[in-house]
Amino acid sequence: MTRQEIEQEIKNIFSREFEIENPGMDDNLREKYEFDSIDAIELLLEIEKMLGFELTQEEKKQAMDIRTINQICDYIERIIQTRKTAG
Amino acid sequence: MERRVVITAASAITPIGHGKKQITENLLKGKSGIKPLREDELISRFIHSRVYGTVDYPIEYDFKRSHRKTMGPVAYYACQVAKEVLEQSGLTQDFITSGKLGVAFGSIHGSPTVQRDIYKIFFEAKDKASYQGIGAVDYLKSMVHTTAVNITKMFGITGRVISSGTACTTASQSIGFGYETIKYGLQDAMLCGGADEYDTITVAVFDNLLACSTAFNDEPQRTPRPFDKSRDGLAVGEGGGAVMLEEYEFARKRGANIIAEVIGFACNNNGGDLILPNLAGITATLRLGVENAKINPQDVDLISAHATATKMGDIIEAQAIGAIFGNHPYVTALKSYIGHTMAACGAIETIMSLYMMEDGFIAPTINLEEIDERCAIIKHVQKVLTHPVKTTAVQNFAFGGVNTILILRKFS
Repeated sequence: MTRQEIEQEIKNIFSREFEIENPGMDDNLREKYEFDSIDAIELLLEIEKMLGFELTQEEKKQAMDIRTINQICDYIERIIQTRKTAG
Repeated sequence: MERRVVITAASAITPIGHGKKQITENLLKGKSGIKPLREDELISRFIHSRVYGTVDYPIEYDFKRSHRKTMGPVAYYACQVAKEVLEQSGLTQDFITSGKLGVAFGSIHGSPTVQRDIYKIFFEAKDKASYQGIGAVDYLKSMVHTTAVNITKMFGITGRVISSGTACTTASQSIGFGYETIKYGLQDAMLCGGADEYDTITVAVFDNLLACSTAFNDEPQRTPRPFDKSRDGLAVGEGGGAVMLEEYEFARKRGANIIAEVIGFACNNNGGDLILPNLAGITATLRLGVENAKINPQDVDLISAHATATKMGDIIEAQAIGAIFGNHPYVTALKSYIGHTMAACGAIETIMSLYMMEDGFIAPTINLEEIDERCAIIKHVQKVLTHPVKTTAVQNFAFGGVNTILILRKFS
């Protein structure tokens, strides 16, 4: 997936699952949209569906400090890269 | 220190309407909210009783997703009536979030709809993907204090939380414990009530105890029939009700619209059987309530009876009323309109009583056509009375042997 495709898919998830339309790439999701730890867990499930594989508990814990859409995209790119290297 | 406690707002969602106008109109019309039991594609086909006090009209909820995500259907009822009560009360946002306002609110067992979905996964999960169907928020939606804390979250309330879960006395305890919390100076205001959602499991429980009405399955509106010779049990119902209680001086100084004063509350336990109604226990509750209110029994004009329309329950309640209040107060059984709304009944019946006190009428017990002679020692109401009501006692009794009485006085 290209960075652009990841961004678009994340924005689709935010619109569909969290009713957050067109968030800014560097908006603080917690402060601006009340996006909390419960939402983060749901987002990880959506990311697993998007990637087509399960995230490990360790990978999921790494996502808990994420605050912006850009950071989510970085996280997904990193996961994809790690799996490629490992696999 | 003992402080006076007043009611400054009230709202209910019931099988006969939402809000004062609809509810009052339907009480005056004698309209029943009992409908045929809905199919749930699980257990409803085995249930003998085919009646349910149903909220079948649309409610326009306007809750943000950040709030909705932790709410099962029961919390929708709870948060909606809480929202309406907060708006009616006119309390400022500063006060609501000050820590001086608490919440006393409950349901009989959280959200059975959500619990059912969890059980489905529990019994059917074949792989990890289906296991993950148990959502991060399922416990928050289904826990026993889900109503109370979804209210605190939605409105930023930071005071005490009391979440009684005592079956049919859940809401009457919520109001009673809220009253005591303010009376003894622990909070200046309490948002109190109860709610329960549509639930066939509750019907199954009462059905298997042979306590549900089955003889009027083809004519749901003719049941329940409290105190009537042909009563054959209760109809379960759904809904929610909330009241705002405030310390009197605080309410007066801010110019609040004071509807009534809570002048007494009592709660006790039968100390024995968890199901059977108990004459000694209930009679003691009523006596304790009168003592707590510092009134004479003859000061009570109206009793809202618990009166579920079970064979024994109604007789014992009539005997207890007769023993404490004699034949003086009018007695009405509001479950004849809405069924047994479980955790909500104490709040809804309190609110209906407030409406009757405000508007000077007494709604009759509908379906009371031939009074059971064993219940005849009290003053039943069989048609609408235009009659001033100054003091009302609201009685509720629950599985577990818990009994409550709230005593309300019209504010003047």
